[in-house]
Amino acid sequence: METTAWLVLAFPLAGAILIGLLAQHVPAKLTGYLGTLAIGGAFVSAVLTFLSLQGREEEARQVVFVGWDYARSVGVDAQISILVDPLSVLMILVVSGVSTLIHLYSVAYMESDQGYARFFAYLNFFVFSMLLLVLAGNFMLLIVGWAFVGAASYLLISFWYRRTTATKAGIKAFVINVVGDVGLVLGTYFIFKHTGTLDFLGTFDSVERDFEGSTGDLTAGCLLLLVGAFAKSAQIPLHTWLPDAMEGPTPVSALIHAATMVTAGVYLIARMHPLFEQAPAAADTGAIIGAVTLLVAGTIAIVVTDLKRVIAYSTMSQIGYMIMGVSAGAYVAGLFHLMTHAFFKALLFMAAGSVIAAMGGRQDLDSMGGFRKAMPYTFACFCIGGLALAAVPPFSGFFSKDEILLDLGAEGGWHWVLYVAGYVGSLLTAVYTFRLIFRAFFNDPVPEAQELMDGHLHHPAEAANPATGETEDTDVGFPGADHHIAEQSPFMRVAMGILALGAIVGGFIQIPKVTHGLESFLDPTFARSEIEVEPSDGLIYFGLVLGAVLGLLGIAIAYRIWVQKPGTSAAIQARLSVLHKLFSNKWYFDELIELVVVRPLSWFGRFGQQTFERIFVNGALVGGTTGLVRAGSAAVRAVQSGYLRSYAALLLGGLAVVGFYFLLQA
Amino acid sequence: MNGRKLEGPAIDFAGLSPLLALLGGAVVVLMVGLLRGRAAREHGVPALSFATLAASLGLTIWQLDSSEELVAGALAIDGLGTVLNILFVSAGMATVLLSWRALAPRESAHGEFHALLLTSIAGMVVLAWSTNLVTVFLGLELLSIPLYVLCATEMRRATSLESGLKYLIVGSLGSAVFLYGLALIYGATGSTDFAGIAEANSAVGLSSDPLMLTGIALSVVGLGFKASVAPFHQWTPDVYEGAPTPVTAFMAVATKAAAFGIFLRLFDVALIDSATAWAPALAALATVTIIAGNVGALGQSSLKRMLAYSSVAQAGYMLAGVVVTSGLGVRATVFYLAVYLVMNLAAFAVIIARERETSLGDDLAAVEGIGATRPVLAWPMTIAMLSLAGIPATGGFIGKFFLIDATVDGGYAWLGFVIVIGSMISLAYYLRVIAAIWMRDAPAVAQSTPVPAGPRPALAGGSPEGDAGPGSVALGAESPPAQAGAVVYGGEPGGGKAHWEVALVAVLCAALTVAAGVVPQPLFDLVQRCGDAFTNLV
Amino acid sequence: MAIEWYLIVSALIFSIGAGGVITRRNPLVVLLCLELMLNAANLALIAFSRMHGNGDGQIFAIIVMVVAACEVCIGLGVIVAMYRRRLPIDVDELRELQG
Repeated sequence: METTAWLVLAFPLAGAILIGLLAQHVPAKLTGYLGTLAIGGAFVSAVLTFLSLQGREEEARQVVFVGWDYARSVGVDAQISILVDPLSVLMILVVSGVSTLIHLYSVAYMESDQGYARFFAYLNFFVFSMLLLVLAGNFMLLIVGWAFVGAASYLLISFWYRRTTATKAGIKAFVINVVGDVGLVLGTYFIFKHTGTLDFLGTFDSVERDFEGSTGDLTAGCLLLLVGAFAKSAQIPLHTWLPDAMEGPTPVSALIHAATMVTAGVYLIARMHPLFEQAPAAADTGAIIGAVTLLVAGTIAIVVTDLKRVIAYSTMSQIGYMIMGVSAGAYVAGLFHLMTHAFFKALLFMAAGSVIAAMGGRQDLDSMGGFRKAMPYTFACFCIGGLALAAVPPFSGFFSKDEILLDLGAEGGWHWVLYVAGYVGSLLTAVYTFRLIFRAFFNDPVPEAQELMDGHLHHPAEAANPATGETEDTDVGFPGADHHIAEQSPFMRVAMGILALGAIVGGFIQIPKVTHGLESFLDPTFARSEIEVEPSDGLIYFGLVLGAVLGLLGIAIAYRIWVQKPGTSAAIQARLSVLHKLFSNKWYFDELIELVVVRPLSWFGRFGQQTFERIFVNGALVGGTTGLVRAGSAAVRAVQSGYLRSYAALLLGGLAVVGFYFLLQA
Repeated sequence: MNGRKLEGPAIDFAGLSPLLALLGGAVVVLMVGLLRGRAAREHGVPALSFATLAASLGLTIWQLDSSEELVAGALAIDGLGTVLNILFVSAGMATVLLSWRALAPRESAHGEFHALLLTSIAGMVVLAWSTNLVTVFLGLELLSIPLYVLCATEMRRATSLESGLKYLIVGSLGSAVFLYGLALIYGATGSTDFAGIAEANSAVGLSSDPLMLTGIALSVVGLGFKASVAPFHQWTPDVYEGAPTPVTAFMAVATKAAAFGIFLRLFDVALIDSATAWAPALAALATVTIIAGNVGALGQSSLKRMLAYSSVAQAGYMLAGVVVTSGLGVRATVFYLAVYLVMNLAAFAVIIARERETSLGDDLAAVEGIGATRPVLAWPMTIAMLSLAGIPATGGFIGKFFLIDATVDGGYAWLGFVIVIGSMISLAYYLRVIAAIWMRDAPAVAQSTPVPAGPRPALAGGSPEGDAGPGSVALGAESPPAQAGAVVYGGEPGGGKAHWEVALVAVLCAALTVAAGVVPQPLFDLVQRCGDAFTNLV
Repeated sequence: MAIEWYLIVSALIFSIGAGGVITRRNPLVVLLCLELMLNAANLALIAFSRMHGNGDGQIFAIIVMVVAACEVCIGLGVIVAMYRRRLPIDVDELRELQG
């Protein structure tokens, strides 16, 4: 098991390095296969690890493998160690499995792009970082993986680096991620200060003892960890980077911004649950933020007209469910939703990529319509993904979302607020999902769809940035010339088909009162959890029925508004113009951040630059220091005159000073 | 005498074997150097000297765990001795590779060059094993005197001779001061033995004895000179720049290791009871050294000169490990010595390779643009510079971290702060090299063939004394002796070609530098032995 | 005779040597002055040896003599090489390396 666990990390790393080295020497196509194979190898290793983990005694399913001691001797137990337990194995299975399919999809989707090899090198590096993050056995490696993931995400969002909107989005994502990194590092510091160890298991073993009488520090540490989690998982108020990140190529959105990176926060909270259980204030904060995010993101998703951004807001909203769940103690349910969400959201992104390709790169919902007949395969996949997302039985999302809300309901107390919020969000989800499907696939075919039915693929006269309309070429740094859609590429069909299967059957491993696959698998990780909930039968049946009804109701509403009476949407907009304005401006979060953070900071910065820096920093500090260093340099070099006798004199002079000092002691 | 029968000291020949191998090898190499065959001289001699060093390394590793007296009261082997031996011999092996096809042995004579090199290493070994003031002095001179000659081996280049004479005179001055210090310590304690000195020191309480204190002051200066501690560092830049580059590389790493080895022995064993007197003084010297070295390196265009100042600064860092008088300090110093060895060797190997490939000598311009043209050299240089600056994931970072930890632990936190400040300044000149490697285009004049007016006219010109070695003959005629004595770099026997062994040393040392930063534990374990040698420390 | 006198003489010789190194420009004379410094140390060693009544200092002194001879040899060798290169025999002219 030790070997296979390390191989999970070794494959993607080797892939990234190899592709980087070979890129200029082998045909580009090969790098795509190489990248896919590397991740496939990681998935196989993950499966083998899973099998051998299951072969162990239940008590022995949390194993730490130490690669080597990094620096054990200087007061820190920094080791290169990985923790293999059901939680990390679940994560590596999901991450490597979905990544393999997305690599397969990208082999075709990115085919005409000039940065093909670079894309796969980045992608492999990202997968390595993500696997490092989830396998890390101590805080040091966790931080390394966490930062690597942020860096890889920056590289991939700005993959089309000559597109200004893409580079801006990359920088935004990176900056917010660094805010999260700082939170994580500071949180680690607060925890390390008391436990004296970086090791996860060592930390958890002694939480209660170490923090006796200093729960304030523990709460502060956990809140700071939450900052890290919120930044990675795009929770309010650190969420604004995620919609912008849709500037990256669609496979990147599917991989990073649906299935893997954004779930890192969920993983973090689940991993740190022994800490959060001792710091209920921090856990409650996480749950409330999750609930708020799921509602806010749901409302925005109803009005946004950019295809990928709708899915991005939907992702935010679904992650809100997971964060809410794991923060409130519904660990298994949160991770269950993480898994099913990875399937259906990646599927939705892939299908969306297909539609965008057919539109010649445009993502605007207003100009789409009637693709149902033009792309039946994509339509089918989109519908499966949509039904799973809208939580319609028996698709996977139904069971996983229901599980979270069920646990919250069973916990009672003030958690019923979260319970209600979850069901409201559930209705919103169904509405925005099917708004997407009805607008893109129903009604009369737009010219692009018509063209596709006639056997051509629409190509705009000249390539342009879909967001700003700036003209572009198809050289490296911009998207490639050809667009690839699912119907025409076996690779993409296979990848989407497998995910669709997962989206349909993924929920069956954990059906209330019937199967308990995930719960019993994850049990060793959460064995020490003190939160035990046992939902009553009534609650279970009520929840199942309510969830199904809300899902179907949402679809019906969407059908009524966007198919039956196409004018309704405009009428509602007119009547609720205030709300519409609020939603379509994304609750003014960008503006709020601009007002609260950016403006004061830039005012402060201007003041700093113009007054403080010019006079004090530049004049005195930097100028003074550099002046001092320069003067020192000049002095040292002047003394170094080349005259042998002056060297001898300085030596004897130094001797006199040293001798004098020593004789003073006599 | 008074009827007492003199007994010869017990000598452990097995223990002495690494030293005997070196000395024997030196004699053999000297003899083989007299053979007529060119191949025997040019390849046989380096091969033999490499084999000698390899044998010595093997013998050292063979008795890695032994800790005993070798020659009664004069030499003893212990953890510090063996670890330092490994460093000396490894540096020697690298130097043999670097000088295999270099100009210096061709100009002097292969046999002599390598015999001197081996003798110098033997001196270091004596120094690392010594437990007695007499052997300390003997070892120090045995290591220094061959180096004076080695610096002057490129005899047709005026700067080589200049560096030799400067090193000789200032070095002898340092030795004389050191010797006088040793004499006074002997006078104060009545013993030349380290243990005897320590005993007398603690028994009689000599910590305020003027004789003792003056002796310590003089030996601080003498050793400080050998270790390039400011303000006794001034020979370093001149000698490093003038000496043949393989010799510079050897001096930079091996001499430093030897000097710090004896620093640790003398101060942390024999003079430990006077620590209250010398520790603050050494701390002050370390501060001066760190600052002088780092500011001196700024703006240097000669890479060798820059590395010389950098080595001064690094000496200051390592001195901090001596100041704290703790087992942790000893380990940190030796760890840094080991890391310092590999990172500096990597940098010097690249300089040597570029000297042979271009006509620009060791000027910064020689490495410009090699990121694109010579990645095999660009990466080792980059790694070496990052490591010297102390960037994480390199050995230099761990080493510095270890030293700072030792200073904080030993109550000299401010000295750790000085190390950090020094590192910050040092980034300015290390990153300048990296920028030159990756962000500039290779200069037009780069690829060799003798350029009459190179950027360093002082070094252009031929030799009036015709025959020196094959390959360099052609040049003498070509360029008029603008200034007496020197050789155009581009005309080196390599004919502008890179030699694989130089690149090998660069790559290997760079790999070890990274390894020490990523998997430092084996090195920690090795260094642990040194701490064990100091039973008197915490 | 008290040890102090030996030490004073030794210190004087050492200072004369040091002064000579700083002031003289001919490398031959500089080497000579270095010899003086080493021999000052020798004098001190032998005096101390006598004072303590053990032979360590004398052994030390003999070894120092050998070393001193080596140093002078090397020095002369380098000076000869410089002379053959027609370089000025003056330490103040050795200024190619500086800065």
